[in-house]
Amino acid sequence: MLNLFLDIDPPTIFNAHNNFQTLTTYIIGALLAGFGILFALLKAPPQTRRGIVFFVTFISGFFYVLLFIWPSPINRSKGDAPINGFDNVGFWLADAQPVVSTMTQIIGGFLIGLGIFSLMRIHLKRIVKGGGDAPFSFTLVLSMILMIIFGFWDFHQRQQPGAGPLLDNQANWGFVNYAKDYLFDGMLQEMEAAMFSIIAFYILSAAYRAFRVRSIEATILLTTALIVILSLMSVVEYQWGEMVNSVAGGNKNSFVQNFTLTNVAGWIRASVQQPSIRGIDFGVGIGLLAMSLRIWLSLERAGE
Amino acid sequence: MSIGEKLQSLPKWILFLCLIVTASVLQFFNIPLPNKPQDPAIDYYAFAMSIPPGSTVLVSSDWTNSTHGESGPQFDALMRILMRRNIKFAVYTTADGQAPQVAKDEIRRLNEQRVKDGERPYRPFEDYVMVGYFPSAEGENLAMSINLRSAFAGKKDFPEGAKEPVDIWQSPVLKDIKDISDVKALFLISASNTDQIIIERLAAKVPLVYAVTGISAPQNFNYYSSGQLKGLVGGLKGIYDLEYLMTSGVNHPGADGKIAVASTRVPGDVPPLPGRNQGLGTAYFPTLHAALALMILAIIIGNVGMFMARKAQGASK
Repeated sequence: MLNLFLDIDPPTIFNAHNNFQTLTTYIIGALLAGFGILFALLKAPPQTRRGIVFFVTFISGFFYVLLFIWPSPINRSKGDAPINGFDNVGFWLADAQPVVSTMTQIIGGFLIGLGIFSLMRIHLKRIVKGGGDAPFSFTLVLSMILMIIFGFWDFHQRQQPGAGPLLDNQANWGFVNYAKDYLFDGMLQEMEAAMFSIIAFYILSAAYRAFRVRSIEATILLTTALIVILSLMSVVEYQWGEMVNSVAGGNKNSFVQNFTLTNVAGWIRASVQQPSIRGIDFGVGIGLLAMSLRIWLSLERAGE
Repeated sequence: MSIGEKLQSLPKWILFLCLIVTASVLQFFNIPLPNKPQDPAIDYYAFAMSIPPGSTVLVSSDWTNSTHGESGPQFDALMRILMRRNIKFAVYTTADGQAPQVAKDEIRRLNEQRVKDGERPYRPFEDYVMVGYFPSAEGENLAMSINLRSAFAGKKDFPEGAKEPVDIWQSPVLKDIKDISDVKALFLISASNTDQIIIERLAAKVPLVYAVTGISAPQNFNYYSSGQLKGLVGGLKGIYDLEYLMTSGVNHPGADGKIAVASTRVPGDVPPLPGRNQGLGTAYFPTLHAALALMILAIIIGNVGMFMARKAQGASK
């Protein structure tokens, strides 16, 4: 079995140490090879291209299917060796998994690059064309460029010998660090919080307009929602509990104790909400399985 | 337009103004509210307090400022528990590239507070490590379940006073960890779907303890009630419960001899956490009360308006 995924010393191309020269060489080599393959794929006839995409997709999916169903080594320690071919596959899968995981991380990283490319293509076109939306596109592109520049500049400074812990102290910050902090914490993070805060306004407005006792179903929904909302208000929950307790005469085993807000909301959660969610999740799971199979076997032709 | 119709069609700006006022004004007051912590939060606190000091846990910090109202206090409370109990932790994220920086900033702020309160600062590399961001949640959590060392391979962090970053596996936090089963727990603070992925990939390997936003809490109650989660803090109510428990303990007699929170779920006495425990959860909770009360009021006004309008229509026919 191939040993290129094993954690061996000296390291192979797949488990190279985080050493600047060798890793840089590997990265540049991989990039060039990647672009070469991409270029060749673009030039290939559609039928061949489809076949290659099908093959790669199938192999990638098949790896994880095998990993899931094939018995894997338990309590494995360094130096353990497979005793037969069956074991050999299990060892190989276990060794290869972190490498395959790293590959998925890298592909994920490339997706960010693809996103940037796509954003730039659309918004640069809009800026060049002009029109009502051009200022928004300009703001987006400018914000992205500024964040990239100052983000990487700050990162680069922190990677310098001795600079990392030093720059954790704000007293040692320079213009670049302040600029990055202003852009990230001062603007991006605060705008994110503001964006999500807006949801509260929509929820209030929607609750006011939609929660009306128009039918039996709507009444059931409204009553349930009110009980759950009240159970989140500890003052109401506590006082209701005290009231029920006094009606029960302090008897913790009294039947009346079932009607504390905690118990009623708990019953709704355990007997109505959770089974419903489980049912929905089960349906979604089956749907996902079917969709995954279609993608894995390249039967999904959407987007072609 | 009749009164009923008017009550049914209040302008948006009136509702929004009421929300702004109620949400803002209460931030300026410290209002202690009576509370009865719920079982998932009691289990969360009891489990966190049962972890031996000096051991290592993983923290999956999958949140940013967009859910700061809920995730921020959840992260703070967890950090306070871990830091006060001298539990080492490694922070990683599979949800958002911004999350590591947000977690770093929060730890720095808490450290400054600790120094002010006369507690020792939690030292990077010695007491905790920042592992960083992994873009593929599925792949990374699966890799962690198979080989934690390979999954975190090549990650570096700065020890105090060091000029160069050092491999995190050399840190006291992780040096004795061979496998994910050596980690005492995985604490998740999530505002994304990583709660589902971690359950799928790691539930059989390491005890899971979740703090999620209010919107994700109902889904996670399923995993809590099945025993896959050792504890669960959901939304602002959950964090208020947790801060309350940090102050009162569970089955723990106070100075007056009374037990503030009694629970048959937890055997024995779980003491409160010494020091400052009430944080953002306690500060934000009155605001949640007011906002929910406003929502109930708005629903009542809308329904009263609808009935009045119907009655008026019936009378005119």
